[in-house]
Amino acid sequence: MSGQGLTGLSPWSRRLVAAGVLVWCLITVFPLYWVVVTAFKTPPGVVGGPTYLPFIDFTPTLQPFIDLYQGIRGEFFRTFLNSTIVGLSAAAIATAIGAMAAYALVRFEFKVRFGAGLVFFLLALGGYLLFNTTFGFTRPQALLLAFPIALIVAVAANRLPLPGPILGNEDILFWFVSQRMFPPIVTAFALYLLYSEIGRLGFQLIDSFIGLTLCYVAFSLPIVVWLMRDFFEAVPIEVEEAAMVDNVPSWRIFFGIVVPMSMNGLLATFMITLAFVWNEFLFALFLTNSRWQTLPILVAGQNSQRGDEWWAISAAALVAIVPMMIMAGLLSRMMRSGLLLGAIK
Amino acid sequence: MMRNDPIKHVFIWPAVLVVLAISIFPLIYSLTTSFLSYRLIPPIPPRVVWLGNYATLLQEPRFWNALFTTTLIALIAVGLQYAIGFGVALALNARVPGERLFRVALLLPMLLAPVAVALVARMIFNPTMGPLNQFLSKFGLVNLPFLTNGHWALACIIAVEVWQWTPFIILMMLAGLQTLPEDVYEAAELENASAWQQFWGITFPMMLPISAAVVFIRLIESYKIMDTVFVMTGGGPGVDTETLTLFAYQEGFKKFNLGYTSALSFLFLIAITIIGVTYVALLRPHLEKRR
Repeated sequence: MSGQGLTGLSPWSRRLVAAGVLVWCLITVFPLYWVVVTAFKTPPGVVGGPTYLPFIDFTPTLQPFIDLYQGIRGEFFRTFLNSTIVGLSAAAIATAIGAMAAYALVRFEFKVRFGAGLVFFLLALGGYLLFNTTFGFTRPQALLLAFPIALIVAVAANRLPLPGPILGNEDILFWFVSQRMFPPIVTAFALYLLYSEIGRLGFQLIDSFIGLTLCYVAFSLPIVVWLMRDFFEAVPIEVEEAAMVDNVPSWRIFFGIVVPMSMNGLLATFMITLAFVWNEFLFALFLTNSRWQTLPILVAGQNSQRGDEWWAISAAALVAIVPMMIMAGLLSRMMRSGLLLGAIK
Repeated sequence: MMRNDPIKHVFIWPAVLVVLAISIFPLIYSLTTSFLSYRLIPPIPPRVVWLGNYATLLQEPRFWNALFTTTLIALIAVGLQYAIGFGVALALNARVPGERLFRVALLLPMLLAPVAVALVARMIFNPTMGPLNQFLSKFGLVNLPFLTNGHWALACIIAVEVWQWTPFIILMMLAGLQTLPEDVYEAAELENASAWQQFWGITFPMMLPISAAVVFIRLIESYKIMDTVFVMTGGGPGVDTETLTLFAYQEGFKKFNLGYTSALSFLFLIAITIIGVTYVALLRPHLEKRR
């Protein structure tokens, strides 16, 4: 793997290429350096024009962070906790159930009739309209009634010899992954309406831990299933076959053998999911308003509230960024072992 | 080898149920809402207008403007990301000096919150106190209207997108480059093929499937752009940088025009699907030739 594509180049072109990469690297690093430096500036250090070197250009101070912690610019500490709690739980749940689904898709055979899927969709849609318009149920009630009925009928219909194609594991996987293609605004807005109508029935989902986490779990699942499928496919089947000869039940094969063997993959998937949830903005914007507000919302709010108080803005941005910087360091170690190779094939 | 064991249902159903509940559920809900004339402020009771919302939207210049802006940002940003990302990945793969040091730094941006990145960008693009202004004023370009002029603002948003997401392309292309067989290059070496010929004759065609997938992912993701624009310009000046998602947010969350917003998000979905299908159809002949 040495020198592909560059072997034919003269030493001078090699230096040119190295310089190009260096320039891109500087462009990448400069904004990060800027935000770190600015977060330790005092107000005069900002207003006087751009300065770059601490102790030489300006005197660094911890005041912006003390302000943040004391809650002068919004409840940063609690928001940080919110983000951490929601991020960790959503990532853990998504990784767990996503990994189980991915394993099922790799090792077991599924057959879903296209007709059954159609039945599900039509019954859910028709049942919803029927309950809502004819029987006068409220919209969430109608949805909650139509959904299980459609599901049960569809599962039953799957056993009937319906005409139309039979979908296999690949198609189910595609269905999972295609959820990621949807513009999130479609779901975010509908989910907001649905949550608020369910809230009117007395079960609060807007601005609640359950509502937000559930939504993040659903939106992380496509990535989790996609990534985990590759890791599980890499597990040698012989090990599992040997266990099956000894009559070890499937769930013990999974938890006792497969999970420990793909621990690295699980960990990487968990971290990628955590980063996704931590940075997510749109759903948090729609689904929270005060108690369970997450960091991106608070950070975005800094902008309008404090126009030119750059030291505060930088400190706020830094709080949102630093945990992910640490994760990038951890992830890049794992990536060196060719971890993501399989994911793109 | 595929097993068949009833326990498979226990494994797969939790994930299927959650995804069904959270994504198909609202889909039905907003599909039906999109056929209604339904507002919360001022409250108007729901009335069935069938395709009325869609017709209004298609005649609305603001919708076409948002669609155009989003497409412009997505195409230019992804094009630049691909060019820069592929180049950097090639260089890293060729063991450029200092390559190890670059790797961590180069991957950082894609893991950072777009909101925070946009805040930092606002400071850097500040026309009077920002470092970019200081840098450019050395060349006699003082106080450029980075975020207050429509064209400049678009360029700045694209620059931020490129900054943040090129690492993703670098990461994926680097992984792909490492799977290429070495013997082909050795054969090319023997034939005295230049580096340029090796790239267009071997590397580029062999990387085409991965490139297609990576660009597809980025293109679809770029169409969803919202947080960066929300913080950097808020869609302004005027509606010059308003993207589809931001437009839907303004209509839905500021005006609570429910039917209209649902129709808008469905048009968005249709647009994304058309783009995705066109993309795959355009690339399929090139991809299948190689198999």
